[in-house]
Amino acid sequence: MSVTDVSTHTTPRADRPHPNSPGSAGGRGRAARRALLYLGLAIVLLGSVLPMVWAVSGSFKSIDEIFAIPPHLIPKHATFANYVTVFTDISLPKWLWTSLWTALVSTTISVIFSTMGGYAFAKFRFRGSQILFDIMFSSMMIPVTVLVIPLFVQIAGMGLGNSYVALILPWLAPAFGIFMMRQFIVQAVPTQMIEAARIDGAGELSIFFRIVLPVLRPALGALAVWLFLTSYNNFMWPLIVIADANKYTLPLGLNSLTSAYTADYGVILAGSVIAAIPTVALFIALRKQLISGLTLGAVKG
Amino acid sequence: MTSDNSVRVARSRRPAASAPAQEPSRRRPSRQYPRWTPYAFLSPFFVLYAVFLLIPTVVALWISLHSWTGIGPMRWVGLQNYVRLFSDQSFQTAAVNTFWYVAASIFVIVPLALLIATGLAAKRLRLRDLFRVTFFLPFVLSPVVVALVFTILFDSQAGLVNSTLNILFGIGPVDWLGDAVWAKVTVIILLIWRYTGYLVIYFLAGLQSIPPELYEAADIDGGGVVQKFRNVTLPMLAPVTAFVGITSFIGAAQIFEEPFILTKGGPGESTLSIAYFIYRAAFTREQLGYAAAASFLLFVVLFIATRISRHFFGIGREDRA
Repeated sequence: MSVTDVSTHTTPRADRPHPNSPGSAGGRGRAARRALLYLGLAIVLLGSVLPMVWAVSGSFKSIDEIFAIPPHLIPKHATFANYVTVFTDISLPKWLWTSLWTALVSTTISVIFSTMGGYAFAKFRFRGSQILFDIMFSSMMIPVTVLVIPLFVQIAGMGLGNSYVALILPWLAPAFGIFMMRQFIVQAVPTQMIEAARIDGAGELSIFFRIVLPVLRPALGALAVWLFLTSYNNFMWPLIVIADANKYTLPLGLNSLTSAYTADYGVILAGSVIAAIPTVALFIALRKQLISGLTLGAVKG
Repeated sequence: MTSDNSVRVARSRRPAASAPAQEPSRRRPSRQYPRWTPYAFLSPFFVLYAVFLLIPTVVALWISLHSWTGIGPMRWVGLQNYVRLFSDQSFQTAAVNTFWYVAASIFVIVPLALLIATGLAAKRLRLRDLFRVTFFLPFVLSPVVVALVFTILFDSQAGLVNSTLNILFGIGPVDWLGDAVWAKVTVIILLIWRYTGYLVIYFLAGLQSIPPELYEAADIDGGGVVQKFRNVTLPMLAPVTAFVGITSFIGAAQIFEEPFILTKGGPGESTLSIAYFIYRAAFTREQLGYAAAASFLLFVVLFIATRISRHFFGIGREDRA
């Protein structure tokens, strides 16, 4: 403890006042503020996790226990019945599988296309580049709701209605992806490296795959998580384009449970918990990349 | 200072920008790569982009000028769909409801996120990463999952919210999903829960990019917490705030899943949003032209609002779009 805060000996070490701050009153105020800060953050934390914790706990309860008064978080008679129902009586495994593979395919393709495009904008000068970039950029403001109707008409006209292709195809060219990759490439890929490779006689494609892509690994991760989340969680488009319950994605399937299992909230909660596992796991594994990728465009480049 | 910090778009495309080394080919008459290379890299993206984004946008406008059920012939009606929208009671309700969702996003969620981010940016904060990750977590969950869980939480008979209110404060059961006003409040609570943490990360990134010298200078001038917040934090965060504000605005104006699953737009039409109105007109009432008109109107409003706010806040100023 430093000499300046002798009088505030109750203050925990980490909450020691700033060396510049004079006197003990300031120190005590600071400690109080700090306690308030932790209290506030703890309340927000509780608010954030409580619905999730409660949903997980509810998925192990019978319907009577979910609505028991007073409510309790730890199930008194924990049961796997809801999970058994979810896996045997309804097609949840199939929905989950559909959501996973369609999200994976669409993420992979759109990450590749976005990176190629972002690379062209970042490292080449060519006729029309400014116009193409402006068109691409201003379209980020086009709301999905505008696209949904003509896309539906288009997909139906192509004979792709109610198909998996219809789930994936329209979303393979996200303007956001090009924009984000361009920003990353400008920062992360030195032009000299590309030129040196050219002088060594490397072809443009092999430069892209051997030099540019490896440097971009964190950026690719960020874009991939984002696109995966978007595709996996998408609801409105599958709702419009898929009519056959056999081809439902997970969000569609979960939504359909609300009419079939109106009273059985435990089953709905079990389904929700399973639906949340892939995105939560992915987020926890790649949170650093995702967060830095998202904030790249908004804050300093 | 502010314009320097603003959303950086196409910055290096300007000849005088920070990284001249990136444009060496400017100085060289002969390129080292075939002229078509950049187009080849762009083509997969732009082919898909044209087919599934540019063309549909134009087609949406075209459809909106017709009366069409989706099958059979389209009948040209000119601007009639647009005229009809303005006298449609349901559309007005949807617009007012959407206004409330947008207002809540901008005046509740954004300030709350800023407040939490300021707390998280405190020096020597323990468990910062735990807080940050946990606050962000609701955003990665599917909106359908969140809405389903909230349906059960806010159940009027015995949902967790009502039983907790009853035990703690002795408040009688609130009909969260069945009452016109409370249903809207529930949708807004869900939005707050889902999106606040997501915005926190933008503010936190902005806060961390503020040079600490500015705070030290304020310390020397004897500025307290409030003064520092008002004179350093807020002005330095202006570009991020503008970005977050516009993003939230665009997102909130298109809310669909939350009212769709939570209340089916009800009771009555008290939670119906514009996106839901569009969905309902197009896919349950088979009025594709009418729905397209509504969606185009939404597009125009969003576009104008974005342009105005960009003009005032200067975000994306460097993109020269």
